[in-house]
Amino acid sequence: MIEAVNTRARGLRPHSGEAAAATSALRRLDWLLLGAMAGLLAFGLWAIGGITARDIPGDPNYYLVRQGIYAAVGCVGFVVVLFVEPQVYRRYKRVIYGGTAGVMLLVLLTGTVSRHSKRWLDIGFFRFQPSEFGKLLFVLFLAGFLADRARRLGESRTVLEGVGLGCIPILLVFVQPDVGTAMVYTAALAAVLFVAGVRWPHLAALGMGTLVVVLGVLWLLPAAGVHVLKPYQEQRLTGFTHPASDPAGATYNVAQSINAVGAGGVRGRGEAGATQTNLNFLPEHATDFAFASLAEQRGFVGVSVLLLLYLLVVWRGLKVIAIARDAFSAIAAGGIVFAFLFQVFVNVGMNIGVAPVTGIPLPFVSVGGSALIANLLAMGVLQAIHVRGASRPKAYR
Amino acid sequence: MASTRTGRSGSDRFLPPDPRVEGPYRFTPQLALRIGIFGAVALGVFGVLFFRLWALQVLSGPQYLRAALDNQVRSVRVEAPRGQILDSKGRALVTNLAGTAVELHPADLPNTWAARLHELRRLSRIVHVPVNQMLRGIKARGSDPVTPVVVREDVKRTAPINYLYEHADEFPGVSVADTFLRGYPYGSLGAHVLGYVNEISAAQLKQLQRKGYSAGDKIGEAGVEASYDSYLRGHAGLAQLRVDSLGHPRGPLQTKSPGVPGESIKLTIDADLQSAAERAIRYGINLAFQHRQWQADGGAIVALDPRDGAIRAMASYPTYYPRVYTGRVTTKRLAAAGLLPTTAPQRNFPALDRSSNGVYPAGSTFKPVTALAALETHILPSPSTEIPCTGSYSVPSQFAGGAPQVFHNVDPFINELMTLPTALGVSCDTWFYELGNRFYNAPPSEGHPLQAWAAKFGFGRKTGVDVGPEQSGLLPTPEWRKRTFTAKTDPGNWQIDNQWKPGDSIQLAIGQKDLLVTPLQMARFYTLIANGGKLVRPHLVQDVEEAGGGPHSVPRVVHTFTQPAAQSVGLDPTYLAAVQDGLYQATHSQNGTATGVFGNFPVPIAGKTGTAQKDPSTNQKDQSWWCGYGPAVSTEPPQLVVCALIENGGFGADAAAPAALQVFKQFFKNSLSSTTRMTG
Repeated sequence: MIEAVNTRARGLRPHSGEAAAATSALRRLDWLLLGAMAGLLAFGLWAIGGITARDIPGDPNYYLVRQGIYAAVGCVGFVVVLFVEPQVYRRYKRVIYGGTAGVMLLVLLTGTVSRHSKRWLDIGFFRFQPSEFGKLLFVLFLAGFLADRARRLGESRTVLEGVGLGCIPILLVFVQPDVGTAMVYTAALAAVLFVAGVRWPHLAALGMGTLVVVLGVLWLLPAAGVHVLKPYQEQRLTGFTHPASDPAGATYNVAQSINAVGAGGVRGRGEAGATQTNLNFLPEHATDFAFASLAEQRGFVGVSVLLLLYLLVVWRGLKVIAIARDAFSAIAAGGIVFAFLFQVFVNVGMNIGVAPVTGIPLPFVSVGGSALIANLLAMGVLQAIHVRGASRPKAYR
Repeated sequence: MASTRTGRSGSDRFLPPDPRVEGPYRFTPQLALRIGIFGAVALGVFGVLFFRLWALQVLSGPQYLRAALDNQVRSVRVEAPRGQILDSKGRALVTNLAGTAVELHPADLPNTWAARLHELRRLSRIVHVPVNQMLRGIKARGSDPVTPVVVREDVKRTAPINYLYEHADEFPGVSVADTFLRGYPYGSLGAHVLGYVNEISAAQLKQLQRKGYSAGDKIGEAGVEASYDSYLRGHAGLAQLRVDSLGHPRGPLQTKSPGVPGESIKLTIDADLQSAAERAIRYGINLAFQHRQWQADGGAIVALDPRDGAIRAMASYPTYYPRVYTGRVTTKRLAAAGLLPTTAPQRNFPALDRSSNGVYPAGSTFKPVTALAALETHILPSPSTEIPCTGSYSVPSQFAGGAPQVFHNVDPFINELMTLPTALGVSCDTWFYELGNRFYNAPPSEGHPLQAWAAKFGFGRKTGVDVGPEQSGLLPTPEWRKRTFTAKTDPGNWQIDNQWKPGDSIQLAIGQKDLLVTPLQMARFYTLIANGGKLVRPHLVQDVEEAGGGPHSVPRVVHTFTQPAAQSVGLDPTYLAAVQDGLYQATHSQNGTATGVFGNFPVPIAGKTGTAQKDPSTNQKDQSWWCGYGPAVSTEPPQLVVCALIENGGFGADAAAPAALQVFKQFFKNSLSSTTRMTG
C-alpha cells in the first residue's frame, strides 16, 4: 500500500493547492456510485410524490416539497463531506463517540414522544432524529477505534473492548425504544468487526452470543415471565413468521402490506388505482411501508428498478472498501455499506413478509429528513474515501 | 511508492517492530475474501427479495388484487319491506311505513373510551336514548362488528335526525339509514292475532342463523307475524359501499342485489267482524256492570266459519296497541301499556290472548257434549226419553253412613219430566246430573265414555290453530286424578282427592269442577254441531299473496294453505238433530235461557248459555258464556259460529249472549238490510 506512518499527518495538513486537489478529486469520484445515488434520490422523490399525493387533501405535493428540501440540504452536506479528509473523523473519534452518546442521552431525557417512543429532538424549525445520524457516526468511531488497534485485532481483549464500546449506543437506542435502529447498529458493529479482520473464532463466538441474546429476549425470558420487550414489539418481531395468524391485530400491517405488494402485479395500479394506499388500508405508507405502497403503484417493474439501484450502490460500496487507502477508510466503508444493505433488506423484507416489522426507514424513499440527510452524508463519506483511495488494490494483484 | 515499501522492510532488518507505530495498510487476501463473502451475502439478500417479489407480484398478483378490491368494499344489507297482513277482503291490517333509523357502527366510533363516551353522551341528548342502552347494544354486537346497532327508529324525519345529517362529521360511526316500520291503520284491532315485530335477539339468532336470519333482522314475535315470518320477512338485498380503512364511505351506495319484499299474508279475518267482536266484548262487560257484576273485566269472542273452520274474528280484551313495539320502544311505554311482567297484573294482562290461551270452566255450554255422549253410548236411550228435572239432585254417599251429597239446580222449585231438547233449552242442571251419575255408574268395561266423546270433540287438546301458542285446557279423567293428586302434591288429602267420585262425573256433566276449556275449543265444538258433526281445524290464514297487493288490485296468490278436511266424528244425525233442536229452543222457546236475547232477531240463531263457576272457594264470580250459530233451522247451512266469554260476567244470558248477538248483527248486516227493504 501507499501510506505509511504519515497517514495522520497528511490528514491533518492537506497539501497546498486546494483547487488542483478539488479538480483531481472530481475526476476521481466514483461516477457509477454517484449516478446510483442520484438515481435513488430522484426515484425516491418520484415514489414519494405518488405515494403521498392523496394524504393531505388539497395539497398533493406537501410531502414531496418537504422531502425535496431535505434532499437539497442533504446534497449540500454530501458536497461538504466530500472535501473532508476521512482521517479527521479518526482523529476526533472520541469527540464523535461522546457527542453521539450525549445527544442520545439528551433524547431520552428531553425528546419528543411520538408513537410510544422517544426518538426526536426539537430544534426549532426541525425535528431531528439523532439515531439516524448516529448510524454514520457510530461506524466512523468504531472504524477509528479498530484501525488504531490494527495490530492487536487478533486479541480477544481488543474485540471485547470494541463490542463493549459499541453496545452503549445500541442500548441507548434500544431503550428509546427503537428496536429497528438498534438492529441496524448491531449489524454495523458486526460488519465493522468483520471487515477489520477480527479472527474467525472470535466472530463465531460473537455470533453465538448474539443468537443467545436474541433467543433469550424473544423466547426464553418471555416464557419465564420476564418481558424485556413490550408485548407489541414481541408480536411484531415474531409475527412475520405467520402473517395470517391475526389479520385484525398484531399482524394487520404485514397482511395489508403483503396484499398491497401483491396487488401491484407486474405493471402496478398507478397512483389513482392504488386502493390499499389511498384508502389507508396500508398503515404508515409514507414511512415504514413506503415500499409496499410503491410496489402497489409501480408494480414489479418499479420495485425492480429500485432494487437494482440499491444493488448498484452496494456493489460500488464493496469496490470502495477494496480501494480504500488505509484500514480506517476500509473499515468505515464496510460498516456504511453493510448498514445500508441491512436497512434495505429489513425494510423491504418486512414489507413483503420475510423480515420482522421494525421501524427502519427505506433508504432514499421513506419520508423523513434525518434519514435522507444521514444517507446522503454516508454516501459523501464513501465518495471521500474513494477519491483518496488507490485506483485499484495494488498489494493484491 | 515502491521505495517506501522497500525502505520500511529494510528497517525491519535492523530494529524490532515498534507496537506503537502503525504498520502499513495492505489489501490482504484475507480482506479480499471477506469482501467476497460480503458480496455473496448482498447477492443472496437481493436474490431473496427479488424471488419473493416475483412470487407475490407476478405469480400471485391477481389473487392479491382481488383481495385488495374486496378489502375496500363493505357489504351493506338493504332491508326488504316486510309483507303486509290483509284481512279476508284485502284490507291492510298491518302495513309498512318508511322510517329512518339512527345506527351506530361500533368499529368506527372513537377509539378512546373518553372520546367514545363523549360522543355517545352527545348523541344521547339528541335522540333521547340513554347512553346505557347504546352501550348494551354495542356490547351485544361484540363479536359482529359489521352489523350496525340501531339506536332509534322513527317514522318521521324528525328534528334530531336532521341535526345528525347536518353534523355528520362530528359523529363518526353514527349514520342515518332508511328503514321500514310496521304501521297499524286499524289501531289495536286484532292485536293478539297479528302480533308484533322486534329486532332478533341473540338467543333467537343462535337458533335461526341456519335459516338465513342475521343480526339486525326483524322477526315476528307473536301471532301471525311470528307464525308466518318466513313469508312476511322477504329477503334482504345487498349493496356495496367503498370505504377506507376507518370505514368512512368513499363513494355512493351501489346496489348489488335488490331486496325481495316480503309476501303478503291474507287472513280469514274480516276486519269489520273483528271490530264488531272487540266492541261486543266491551258491550258485554258494560251489560255485566248493569247486572251488578262489578268484577267483569275481560273476555274473548271467537267467530268461526262452520264449513271449514276459518276464523272470521278472534277477539280478546283487554288489548293493546301493537304500535308500542315500533319506533322507539321504551320500557316506559311498554310498562304503561301493561306489557311488562311487572305492570301486566294492573292492566289485567293485556298481552294474553284469552281466545286461545285463556282457560275457563265451560259451564252449561258443555251440556251438548254430555247429551251427545249419553245418546251415543245409550246411557240416554233416545232423545225423547224423559228424565225428571227437579230442584235438587242427591246421590248416596260413597262412605257408609255418610250424608247423601246434594246438588242444586238454578231454579229450586221446578219439578217436571223433560226430554233432551227441553232440558237443553231450559238448561236444567239436575237433568244432566242424572246423566252424569249414569256415566259414573257405567260398567268399567266401557271406559270413560263422556271423556272419550269430549276428547273426540277436541277438548283437552290443542286445536292446531296456525297461530300459536295455545293452551290445551284440561279434560279430567280418573287417571288424571291419580296422576295429579299424590302424597307429594297434596299431602293432607291425597288419598281422597285421587279418587274419581260421583260428584266428579255429575259436575263434569254440566262442565264444572276441573274441566278447563279455551273459547277457541268451545267454538270448534259448536262448529261441529252446526256443520253436522265434523271437527274442523281452526285457521287464520287464507293464502300468501305477492307483495304489493291492495284492495284495488288483484294480487297473484303465491301459496294457498290446504286445511285438513273436516273430520266426521261419527255422530248419529238424529242425535245431532235433537241437540240442534235443544239449542234452538234455548234461544226461541218460551223458557229458553236466551230467548230474551235472540228471540226477536230476524236470523234464526241457536246456542247455549253458560254460567261457569270459576272456583267456588274464591270470591271470583261466574264466567258468562254463550256459544251458538246461525242461521239455524233453515234450508241453508249455518254460516257463522260465535262463542263469547265475559270474565266474571255473571249469567250467560246477561253478558255473553248479548255480546254474541252484536257479532251476528254485524255478520248478517247486509242480508238484514235487504230483508228490511223487502218487508218494508
